[in-house]
Amino acid sequence: MDEPPDEVRNWLCSFVYNDRSIAYVKIDDRLLVAGKGGRVEHYGLSSLRIGEPVAGQLAFIEGLLPYTDLPFHIPMVELPNGRVTDLHFFSDNACIWLLFLDATAEHNNKQRIQQKAYETTLLREREHQLNEQLESANEALRKSQEGLSREYQRSESLLLNILPASIAERLKTQEQIADNHAEVSVLFADIVRFTEKARSVGAETTLAILNSFFKAADLLSEVHGCEKIKTIGDCVMVVAGLPLSRPGHADALAQFALELRQAGADENFGGEPLKLRIGIHSGPIVAGVIGKRRFAYDLWGDTVNLAARIQTSAEPDEIRISDATHKLFGQEFACDLIPEMELRGAGRVQMWRLIA
Amino acid sequence: MLQKKICMLGGFAVGKTSLVRRFVQSIFSETYLTTVGVKIDKKSVVLSDKTVDLILWDLAGEDDIGSFRLSYVRGATGLVLVADGTRAATLTVALTLRERTEAEFGAMPFVLLLNKSDLADQWTISDDAINEMRQSGYQIYLTSALSGESVDDAFIQLASLVSK
Ligand SMILES: Nc1nc2c(ncn2[C@@H]2O[C@H](COP(=O)(O)OP(=O)(O)OP(=O)(O)O)[C@@H](O)[C@H]2O)c(=O)[nH]1
Ligand SMILES: [Mg+2]
Repeated sequence: MDEPPDEVRNWLCSFVYNDRSIAYVKIDDRLLVAGKGGRVEHYGLSSLRIGEPVAGQLAFIEGLLPYTDLPFHIPMVELPNGRVTDLHFFSDNACIWLLFLDATAEHNNKQRIQQKAYETTLLREREHQLNEQLESANEALRKSQEGLSREYQRSESLLLNILPASIAERLKTQEQIADNHAEVSVLFADIVRFTEKARSVGAETTLAILNSFFKAADLLSEVHGCEKIKTIGDCVMVVAGLPLSRPGHADALAQFALELRQAGADENFGGEPLKLRIGIHSGPIVAGVIGKRRFAYDLWGDTVNLAARIQTSAEPDEIRISDATHKLFGQEFACDLIPEMELRGAGRVQMWRLIA
Repeated sequence: MLQKKICMLGGFAVGKTSLVRRFVQSIFSETYLTTVGVKIDKKSVVLSDKTVDLILWDLAGEDDIGSFRLSYVRGATGLVLVADGTRAATLTVALTLRERTEAEFGAMPFVLLLNKSDLADQWTISDDAINEMRQSGYQIYLTSALSGESVDDAFIQLASLVSK
């Protein structure tokens, strides 16, 4: 093989000597330091003692000698003095040569690049992790929000089922509601001989009848601007002038009563038309919502009690109204005066029979 | 004089250098300075019946395992596998590195350190996974180079494994 020209050889030699310090350590077959040379001080090897075991003096040698499969190379070993070296192991017949080739500059350069790469990777990993966490948190939030709005809709539809809409609205913002209503009309209606007939026609028919009776009450309430307050067994309670006070509440409720009676007459309850007993009275009442966990909208006051008494006193198919209601009529209704009579808890009462 | 070469193996930034620092010098730094090549440290461990000098080879972590240089592990008698508990993927890296060294140099004693236990809120390795590995005979330590938790225990355990 041709030698390189002298200039090139000289350049190579000076490059290796000046830019990459070289030192060597010679180790004999008993693993004692046999010699050292080159720029030993550069690698902190000045104190290396010749003739003594290498094991105690060079920590990195542990486990590597005796080693047969040479040459062998370990790149970029940081020495205790901070220098970084490439370590080359060679052997001739008697000795192992340990060659130190400075790699500090290369090491620092690689470290700078590697550092950037790893830091970027770490940031990306962290970002990815945070995104995942965010996503799963969002998912959980969305689920609980869905649950909430379902809950909310459920409770709202429950509220609307039992309460007038305007009251339900207020209930969502307030705790307790109690209103004084100066003037309203209150109606009670129940089915004549209900218990007895229910027994004879059976539960299923009875439920169907009750259902259509209450439905008719609901429908007519809407038509005439009244509120069905509640049902008690086979009895409905309906009020006009609530929750917003209005003129003509007596007229409206009278019209309601006439049509409810007609609706009953069109029904078939055990072979007969459905007969109702209806009573109406007008006056001041207190309306409100009670209950902390389950809300119920209800009316209180003498007006309510008297309306109930009047209803129970009515004959089958009769709409019986108090004199107070009668006086409030603005429209023409056909009415018969009923001779004044004693009602329990109310004394003598003047009442009318609403005919048409 | 009993000396043993031990290699720190694991992915990058899992805390290999920090663990060695904590064990040898009892210090910790938040700043990350990646290791390139290898840095060798020495620490004597006093066991009940003997003293052993651990020669700790703190190797560069790997971003891809393919580039791992087996030449560094030659002559080692034990391994400290390190994973970062806040990055589950580093566990696979550590276990794969062990397999590769075993294929090349044969089985040797090791301990597995799940590091950064102080970062509990970012922890990603489940107790189930840890228990499962323990069942199959792994010696696992939940360490923190920051607080020092279990660091000495892990190294001392490995020292006694390699000096048997
Ligand atoms: N909170 C916390 N941070 C740690 C812990 N151990 C290491 N770190 C941090 O993690 C980062 C990486 O630590 P190093 O010890 O350099 O990781 P390494 O495994 O040597 O990394 P390479 O040399 O690049 O492979 C540094 O910012 C450390 O401060 C720990 O137990 N807890
Ligand atoms: Mg490191």
